[in-house]
Amino acid sequence: MSTLLEIKNLKKYFYVPAGTNHAVDDVTMKIQKGKTMGVVGESGCGKSTLGRTIIRLLEATDGQILLNGQDITNVQGKELRKVREKMQIIFQDPYASLDPRYSMDDVISEPLKECKRYNKRYIEERVNELMDRVGIEDRLRYSYPHELDGGRRQRVGIARAIALNPEFIMCDEPVSALDVSIQAQVLNLLMDLQEENNLTYMFVTHDLSVVRHISDDISVMYLGQLVETSPAKQLFLRPLHPYTKALLSAIPSTDIDHPMNRILLRGEITSPINPAPGCRFVKRCPYATQACMEPQELKEIEKDHFVSCCRVTEIN
Amino acid sequence: MESNKFIEVKDLVVEYSSDGDIIQAVNGVSFSVDRGETLGLVGETGAGKTTIAKSILRILPEPPAKVISGQILLKGKDLIQIPEKEMLSIRGNKISMIFQDPMTALNPVMSVGSQITEVVALHNNIKEEKAKHRTIEMLEMVGIPEERYVEFPHQFSGGMKQRVVIAMALACNPELLLADEPTTALDVTIQAQVLDMIKDLREKFNTAMILITHDLGIVAETCDKVGVVYAGHIVESGSKEDIFRHAAHPYTLGLFDSIPKMDDDERRLKPIDGMPPDPTNLPKGCVFAPRCKFVSGECEKGKIPIIEITPGHLCQCLLAKKEA
Repeated sequence: MSTLLEIKNLKKYFYVPAGTNHAVDDVTMKIQKGKTMGVVGESGCGKSTLGRTIIRLLEATDGQILLNGQDITNVQGKELRKVREKMQIIFQDPYASLDPRYSMDDVISEPLKECKRYNKRYIEERVNELMDRVGIEDRLRYSYPHELDGGRRQRVGIARAIALNPEFIMCDEPVSALDVSIQAQVLNLLMDLQEENNLTYMFVTHDLSVVRHISDDISVMYLGQLVETSPAKQLFLRPLHPYTKALLSAIPSTDIDHPMNRILLRGEITSPINPAPGCRFVKRCPYATQACMEPQELKEIEKDHFVSCCRVTEIN
Repeated sequence: MESNKFIEVKDLVVEYSSDGDIIQAVNGVSFSVDRGETLGLVGETGAGKTTIAKSILRILPEPPAKVISGQILLKGKDLIQIPEKEMLSIRGNKISMIFQDPMTALNPVMSVGSQITEVVALHNNIKEEKAKHRTIEMLEMVGIPEERYVEFPHQFSGGMKQRVVIAMALACNPELLLADEPTTALDVTIQAQVLDMIKDLREKFNTAMILITHDLGIVAETCDKVGVVYAGHIVESGSKEDIFRHAAHPYTLGLFDSIPKMDDDERRLKPIDGMPPDPTNLPKGCVFAPRCKFVSGECEKGKIPIIEITPGHLCQCLLAKKEA
């Protein structure tokens, strides 16, 4: 198994009037080729910012991004365009991410025209092929976003993302705007495409049942930092970080025979502006002690299972 | 006509008109809820869930909406027939609603405290001073300290705003609470807090509740009865056990199949093929027929009867059989 993407101590800060927003703070992770890394966390925890920084839609404040071993953190111009062909994104909101004046044909063919390698005939055929692959009827080729429902719009977004045969796709909550019956259709499509093209995904979501389903590995984020990362199954069987435990226990279960034993958290996610140096979960954590006020380190507790909590062995 | 149910909706039909098209939003829906009981209405976007709730409160914009027929009986009195003046004393007092989006349900230029006080003073016909006292009590109950009475909605987080909306809905001890996706805009850990609070309050005041959601997990955890809504019809209804253990309608089964299971390692999901029907042009027979795996010619011919499979478990499908 080879590593496609390696992220080292990545930071993304935003400077706002109230101070510095540590949206992504010292995140390190590896994503294996052909696998899916799920990133979960609550709104405002920096998961989308992390994804967008990785694919160079945002400039990193500090740290490194390595794609196939090549440092792409600061590449510019022609080099950057090459990188962009390899890394694509599927956006969260299929209602906002499509230009209302672009027909489906315009949307899907744009990346093919933009890379200036293909002739008209090829583009024509490739758009046909892509629409067919993602399951959009041919008659909708020249229709506009407002004429389509959410599921079809998201399929167009997917067709656009795979047009140039990328290696890596960052999926930013791709199904959260869709109804469950349509959501399942789109998730199946994403998994099929991954198998066919050996794609690597980073799947950002707040929906824990979806992430368990689609991911090989999962990273849990809290206020800009990774608190736990592990193979998907292991994480759900044996979450180790107190935040992960609370998060997993909060998922409403459809099993009426075994209701969840819920760990209720006090308070809400705090502000990522000028955070204190220690563990960021400390104010809501039922196990917090003085030692938690010190900066925490991500440590390998079990094989491939990393946790950032100084009391992890005591509390499990 | 006297009814022993607390609230009973009978054959409700609601339409919207738009550009000459008639949108059939609710097509003959019937259900009832007792005090202390919670009915969950589940279904996808556009199924008509919110329209049902809004017609109970009579806050549908008319036009374009129009209640064509049916009865909404609150303790036997038909809310559709009573004059608006009488409705004013019921709305917000006996029946109140928690709206889906806490970000837009509050007035941005009024402090959250005075928004609730306004409601309390109006319905109880008391002076503002006294009402303020009650407001502070309500805010504390939902976990918001008194100091924040004077703050404005933008100073609150999403979860706190939703709790303000809940405090407002409960301020007059409503007998019926309509909760329209009360936690959809919230994160799971906050959702858990809010659902817990709603459950506590319901027990404390013996409130009847209609909970609208698309999340079957939330239904499993909070409801006693379930109605599955599809294209303006309740295609299946029954107790929580009926729906979660003995689902009979193909749409309900499809809905359960399409959610990713926590304990299932099957990688491919089983979606329902196709899309919900166009509400301006509903299929003649069963509304689910175009997406149904078990469809036969009979399904498309005409109105599908509602079968009572076991007492209280209703299903609108030709394949459903009454159990002996």
